[in-house]
Amino acid sequence: MKKLLVFCLVVLVAATGVYAAGKAFPKRDITNVVVWAAGGGTDVCNRIVSAEMAKILGVNINVINKTGGVGGSVGMAYAFSQPADGYTLAGVSESCVTAGVQGGWDQRMEVWDFFIVGGSPDLISVTPDTPYKSLKDLVEAAKKAPGTIKAGASASGSIHHLNLLAFEKGAGIKLNYIPYPGSAPAQNAAMTGEVSLVITSLAEQQQLIRGGKLRPLAMLIPNDFEVADVGKIPSAFTDYPGLKQYLPISQAIGFAVPAKTPKEVKTVLEGAFKKAMASEAMQKWGKENYYLLSGKTGAEAQKEFNHLESLFAWTLWDLGAAKVDPATLKIPKPAK
Amino acid sequence: MIDTFGIYLQSLGHVVGSPAHLAILFGSVLLGIIFGALPGLTSTLGVALLTAVTYGMDAATAMVCLLSIYVGGTYGGSYSSILINIPGTAASAATALDGYPLALKGQAGRTIGLATTSSAIGTIISMLFLVTVSPIILHFALQFTSFEFFLLAFFGILISGTLTTPDLVIKGWISGFLGLFLSMVGRDRLQFYPRFTFGIPELDGGIEVVPVLIGAFGIPQIIEVLKNRVQVGEIQKLQRILPEFGTILRNVPKIIRSSLIGVGVGCVPGIGEDIAAWVSYGAAKNTSKNPENFGKGEPTAVLSTEVANNACVGGAIIPLLNLGIPGSPPAAMLLGALMLHGVTPGPMITFEHPTFIIECAAILLLASMAMWIVGITLAKQVVKVLRIPAPLFMPIVGLLCIIGSYALGLDITNLYLMIPVGIVCYFLTEMGYPIAPLVIGVILGPMADENLRRALMVTQGSFWPILTRPVALSLVLIIAWLVLVQFPSVKAFKERWAANVLGRFRSSRHGG
Repeated sequence: MKKLLVFCLVVLVAATGVYAAGKAFPKRDITNVVVWAAGGGTDVCNRIVSAEMAKILGVNINVINKTGGVGGSVGMAYAFSQPADGYTLAGVSESCVTAGVQGGWDQRMEVWDFFIVGGSPDLISVTPDTPYKSLKDLVEAAKKAPGTIKAGASASGSIHHLNLLAFEKGAGIKLNYIPYPGSAPAQNAAMTGEVSLVITSLAEQQQLIRGGKLRPLAMLIPNDFEVADVGKIPSAFTDYPGLKQYLPISQAIGFAVPAKTPKEVKTVLEGAFKKAMASEAMQKWGKENYYLLSGKTGAEAQKEFNHLESLFAWTLWDLGAAKVDPATLKIPKPAK
Repeated sequence: MIDTFGIYLQSLGHVVGSPAHLAILFGSVLLGIIFGALPGLTSTLGVALLTAVTYGMDAATAMVCLLSIYVGGTYGGSYSSILINIPGTAASAATALDGYPLALKGQAGRTIGLATTSSAIGTIISMLFLVTVSPIILHFALQFTSFEFFLLAFFGILISGTLTTPDLVIKGWISGFLGLFLSMVGRDRLQFYPRFTFGIPELDGGIEVVPVLIGAFGIPQIIEVLKNRVQVGEIQKLQRILPEFGTILRNVPKIIRSSLIGVGVGCVPGIGEDIAAWVSYGAAKNTSKNPENFGKGEPTAVLSTEVANNACVGGAIIPLLNLGIPGSPPAAMLLGALMLHGVTPGPMITFEHPTFIIECAAILLLASMAMWIVGITLAKQVVKVLRIPAPLFMPIVGLLCIIGSYALGLDITNLYLMIPVGIVCYFLTEMGYPIAPLVIGVILGPMADENLRRALMVTQGSFWPILTRPVALSLVLIIAWLVLVQFPSVKAFKERWAANVLGRFRSSRHGG
């Protein structure tokens, strides 16, 4: 009896072993370590794409949040310390590229391979009782009185601030930039009239625009954007083609695996990611949340993150907000 | 209107009718109370931690869970304030002023009972504001720009200094400015310039509030109790926990005033329960017939602060749901949770999710009722904590203080910060300097600093708007009055004037 039992066990173990060996990646559940807090844009986005990919891969993808440090450095360091076998993903956003110059991360972003879901595009809106009915009105007014029109955006060196700087350069104007601790307070200031214009993402502004609390002037992306109840918001590039040189600077939310992860594993992940991006649920979510879906992977995604890294790192350094000189990290200056 | 009421009842039924919802309701309230009562854990942290847990639930169930934690956490801080004079959260610091003296008089049970009922009433009244007058309140909230935020923060520090000093008011202000100074340490938030960091990278991020809160309140109290061998438990009388109906009825005007303050402060973006409690305490003291009792164990003081800090919950939700701007730190966490569940709060919420605000109101009502039931049940039991001999109990409190400081961010720097702050605060207490203004200074300092400088960036260096904006001007006048009234000559003038005018008023009434 006992022998039989042992035999059965051996067979069972062998069988599962053979099965497991036969089935390639993934054999067990995957963990997605989101470096920002639950409920933030990066978190929500990663939960949605993880759920879709889980269906395709046939295993669970558990999303956890590991916050702290600077630029999500605690979560990134944790995910990077795990074996590079594809079972640990790091849920990241474009702001993570600042971890290096802020002293929380001592490597370049090249050590990761990115899977970019996308992000919500930035736009310029104004307080409804200001005289600026179009982007042209605003730019003309700013040219007449440089440095007087008050512009709100989240903290210096944030993505919205970079968009503001790029817009100033591209349109050849100077605004009076007022920093706020986040997008919500900046938008609040535009509603109270403390600042005349605000630059944040469409996802953050859509409720206020549709409720008539803010007037949208132009999208800071090459294409117009259709918003329910409001209609078409024109691209700023139409009237000011010079912007093309500096914009768009887009959010890049998604996840990453260490670049040294085996190629076969990355291929499986990439396949599932592409399928998930094309799924109806993902498309619907993107539309409802005013996201531009990207779906970039591999070299293409790497290029985008390298660009963001140069841009963020050197802007922060120029603002005096960086602790580490980007040159010591060998981050190239942004191409003009 | 009838439709709205129908939806309201339906939402109530939806929660009450399902055992799972009821379990979540009571469980979250209890968890919130524990988070509030333990120094170092706050309702902000509670809401943040539970947000990820709610991912699998639908939006309404998630709100049951998170609003209950918020309500419970705001109330739970009063336990440690009353029982051991260490506020569990900054929101309940004002409660300790009179709550602890009451416990020393042997009325801990009754005081917790009063705090429980007051908190429940505060939450319910703020819920009524949420469903009825949101648009008016929003209009008020949009009057606040950087100058007003600065003045409000400054006012908060001054008033807590004024209210807490046993002898000279200036000592309270000195303590407040010490806090303000501590809050300047670190990189400034507008231009990232490192201030008072002495090249130490750990100080770059600034000084955390929680270790200061724990160190400043906890350590002096532990030393004090061990030194004087106070045993609060032995003198506790057996008493009814349920407050007499008469007490509540007699204080209806105070309750209404405190709720108005709570809702008003709550709806202003970015500031929360702590200021609401202080302002309400100040209003109660200034209008009381016997202000000399305040600080020595005045039940109406506990009532005023607890009504106000819980009324703040409903107030903070008003701009959150209607504009997407959180009115308090825990509400900022709620914003994340709402986005997680696909509800983007803002002006369009009544079109996209027509019943959502009403559902939230229903949940608030249930949460406050659940909090009341749990609170009254717990009150009798938690008072027994005081029977543990102090030489055993205080080291446990000390351990909790250390864990509480470390748990936040798992950062050892916070411990190095908490202990010296505590020791310095012990000597400050010995010299008669109140501690609460110091903590309030650390909390409101960044807000005062950042907003003043931002306001000057906006006006390009001009202070004029302070006098031309109505809300700013009224705040300036209140602050000026608060300061001037401390000068003996002004004080004497005020009393003479009051006696004169009131005397004439009375005699004219008698004459007529």
